[in-house]
Amino acid sequence: MTSLRREPSLLLALLVVTGLVLLFIVYPQVRVVATPGGSGYADFFSGGSWVRPLQNSLSVTALSTTTAVLLGFVYAYAMVYTDMRGKPFFRLVGILPLLSPPFVVAAAYILLFGPRGIITYHVFGQSPNILGLFGIWGVQTIAFFPFSYQLIADVLSRSDARLEQAARNLGAGPWQVFRSVTLPLTRPGLGAAILTTAIYVLEDFGNPALIGGLYTVLPTQAYGLISGFGDLSGAAAVSTILLGLALVIYVAKLRLDGGRQYVTVSGKASSIPRPPVPRWVSWAAFIACSLCALVILLVYGTLVVSALTLAFPTNLGFTTQHFEYVGAHSLSLRNTLVYGLVAATLSGIFAVLAAFLVERGRWRGRRVLDFLLIMPAAVPGLFFGLGYATAFNEQWLDWVDRGALITISMIFWNIPVGYQAAVAGLRQIDRSIDEAATSLGASGLRTFRDVLVPMLGGSVRVGFTTTFVRAVTTLSVVIFLFTTQSTTATITIFQLVGDFNWGGATAFTVADVGMAIIALVVIAVLGRGRVSLGAARG
Amino acid sequence: MADGQPGSSAPEVLPGAAETAHLRVDNVTKRFGAAKAVDNVSFAIPRGAFATLLGPSGCGKTTTLRMIAGFYDPDEGDIVLSGKRINQLPAHRRGTAMVFQDYALFPHMTVKDNVGYGLRVAGVPGKERERRVAETLEFVGLGGLGHRWPNQLSGGQQQRVAVGRALVVRPQILLLDEPLSNLDAKLRESLRWEMRELQQQLRMTFIYVTHDQDEALSLSDWIAVMNQGRVEQAGTPWEIYYRPRTEFLADFVGAVNLVPAIARDVRGATAVLAFGGARVPVGLPPGVSVREDQEVRLSVRPESLWLASAGATAQGMISLAGTVARRAFLGDIMRYWINVDGREWIVDQADPGAGVAFEGSVSLMLRPERAHVIVPATPAELSSG
Ligand SMILES: Nc1ncnc2c1ncn2[C@@H]1O[C@H](COP(=O)(O)OP(=O)(O)OP(=O)(O)O)[C@@H](O)[C@H]1O
Ligand SMILES: [Mg+2]
Repeated sequence: MTSLRREPSLLLALLVVTGLVLLFIVYPQVRVVATPGGSGYADFFSGGSWVRPLQNSLSVTALSTTTAVLLGFVYAYAMVYTDMRGKPFFRLVGILPLLSPPFVVAAAYILLFGPRGIITYHVFGQSPNILGLFGIWGVQTIAFFPFSYQLIADVLSRSDARLEQAARNLGAGPWQVFRSVTLPLTRPGLGAAILTTAIYVLEDFGNPALIGGLYTVLPTQAYGLISGFGDLSGAAAVSTILLGLALVIYVAKLRLDGGRQYVTVSGKASSIPRPPVPRWVSWAAFIACSLCALVILLVYGTLVVSALTLAFPTNLGFTTQHFEYVGAHSLSLRNTLVYGLVAATLSGIFAVLAAFLVERGRWRGRRVLDFLLIMPAAVPGLFFGLGYATAFNEQWLDWVDRGALITISMIFWNIPVGYQAAVAGLRQIDRSIDEAATSLGASGLRTFRDVLVPMLGGSVRVGFTTTFVRAVTTLSVVIFLFTTQSTTATITIFQLVGDFNWGGATAFTVADVGMAIIALVVIAVLGRGRVSLGAARG
Repeated sequence: MADGQPGSSAPEVLPGAAETAHLRVDNVTKRFGAAKAVDNVSFAIPRGAFATLLGPSGCGKTTTLRMIAGFYDPDEGDIVLSGKRINQLPAHRRGTAMVFQDYALFPHMTVKDNVGYGLRVAGVPGKERERRVAETLEFVGLGGLGHRWPNQLSGGQQQRVAVGRALVVRPQILLLDEPLSNLDAKLRESLRWEMRELQQQLRMTFIYVTHDQDEALSLSDWIAVMNQGRVEQAGTPWEIYYRPRTEFLADFVGAVNLVPAIARDVRGATAVLAFGGARVPVGLPPGVSVREDQEVRLSVRPESLWLASAGATAQGMISLAGTVARRAFLGDIMRYWINVDGREWIVDQADPGAGVAFEGSVSLMLRPERAHVIVPATPAELSSG
């Protein structure tokens, strides 16, 4: 790409991209941070109501991240290193949770272990109080270990099998090789995976909201302050603390992996054969994975059964009435599909254009734009949504459709995955390819359209599917933005759970996840390729 | 070999190049950080010439070519195309198509679409486009391969696609950056001739970058030899080869004997070079001057020397007594290393099958008009230049 001065169209594209980033990424966040004002912050911090939630957030993040990462590691190790049976099955089960809102785990947990839970009440006759720290911990462990499994498996499968083979040939045992070869080589990647999981856990809103009870964490406190007291200033201050924590973790992660980590779920096993492990390890791995898979299937099985029974678990008679209910209230599903597809398309296009301008351009300030484009990955969804609610909740903006606003928030909240994939893709395309087009008379944007975009197909797909999946599964981004006309499936599920309408809630969940799966399969068939999916989150 | 060529009267540049230059590079400098990749380079290339930038790796050839193409902006100096300064013109409007070392074919387009791409960008209508693409494919010897994908072609075929893709847009100037360097030796040689043939048929201005001196000498009408970001010398292949002005040049382009000598009897454009017991009268090329008693180098190519049995003399030749130190059979020539007063001279004898192989004491015969003086750059000259 030549100098921007010479190509006005490129300059214009850059100005548009920068303008949109400032308007839809930077401005809303600045508005949230600025909302409380100097005295607002002073009052808020001296009030001290934030101390408990902060402590709670930190403890629950530490606990849940540890257990989720441990489980995820075991699962990933088993998938990458052993030759246990049933890998395709375990791979599929591992992907399923990525396609659904994480808080459905909490819903299933209540159905299974709640005061009227099928196991606690119907099997053991107990009505325990399951709300609080241990509930959140357990639920988040189950909800997020699949994410950490995807991240860790990605890191492990990139470690050099030939090195491990060489070490084995020198007489080292499997465990020794893992400790002395694999671990040192993959440490930064594993560290980044742990920190990424920690961000997911820290910003999780749905699970603590459903089963936290009095155990308030930062996201639920922020939500409670607005929905309960209309205290926007306090909510903004709490969210700012949350953002600060997430940013610290994110910056630490960037230092480990340079911000280039995203997961590709290709459905294809790693092609490099790993040195064999003892049979008992494979068996232990098989048992561990079976237990994990069992828990996941228990969660989704419970949801499906509940969706198809009259009043789970008291009346297990078969019914389709819940799905009829879904059909009658399908607006939110339709919205989810439309917002998801539109946001995914635009996010994919915007990410690739921005990556082109940053990666191929030679102008000052590229690093700044680069940072702004990957930053939303660190921004908790709740904060992002609050930002849009704060920044664009103006009277003169009433003509803006709320659905459009939700779509825009999904576009920009999900930019980082597509953007990073596109940057990585561009780095693999030799510049001489662009220059060949240029020297044949194609302008910068023409080269981008004719040559780079078609060659970046894979990266565009990553951005598209990830945005779509996250748009379908997010609760926190939309919770401050929806209206009755622009409600989404996750909002509906959340409200139905709040109303103890379990049949409706679970039927909606099944419909939402089913819709996501069908959409992804269609996309994969249309794209005639693999479904590439960045790790999604709630 | 040299006999059919113009003698010392060979022109410095091609006739009239400066006035009718198709492309002029005027005092161009390009820095990367503190380092100068191209340092105050000037040259002029006439319309329709096959011009070559030759030099060792890292000397700034590619950088120069890319400034002409518009991919880099010169820090100083002008690029002038057909009399117009084009520094400000974006790369895609310069009409300088480029052929890349790795071909840079678009992997997602068939051969046809690759070749047709430039026409598509120019808005040439479909029918016309198809006709010209077919014509060009025929022209570069790829008729019938239009439907293939780039990864289904051999290296040589890919190279032809790259050339065809650039030619089809009828560029003002075709820029080629080491287009043959990824091919094996045999193919390289045959494509070399095709390249020359193509250029002759089209009468298009080619600027060709290479570090291979054989390629440069055999293809070009004009060569600029670059070293460390500067043009050391520019001229016809003949001048570059037989009248190198610097030691670097003499050494870079082929094997050469560089013998330390003292300039004596300097008179206008002639001088006598003295070394050992020998005295060789030489003509001074235009623009070169030597002082009496100055230390210079006598430069002579190995194939311009002859061997004879010891003690032999010949009319018009200077005869030096030496002994054969080594010899090597190189196929087309026999190469000797002859020890003369403790200094080794390289001598190439053509048609080794016919001649006798020399051993022991020999006479080394030197024709003064084949020798040539090189004035070493002194530190003072370097800094003032
Ligand atoms: N983009 C760049 N950034 C920094 N330095 C560069 C860049 N391009 C070239 N250089 C430096 O400028 C000098 C000239 O490079 P150039 O590529 O023009 O050499 P070249 O003559 O084409 O060499 P080769 O025969 O190896 O291709 C080298 O020292 C190189 O390291
Ligand atoms: Mg080069």
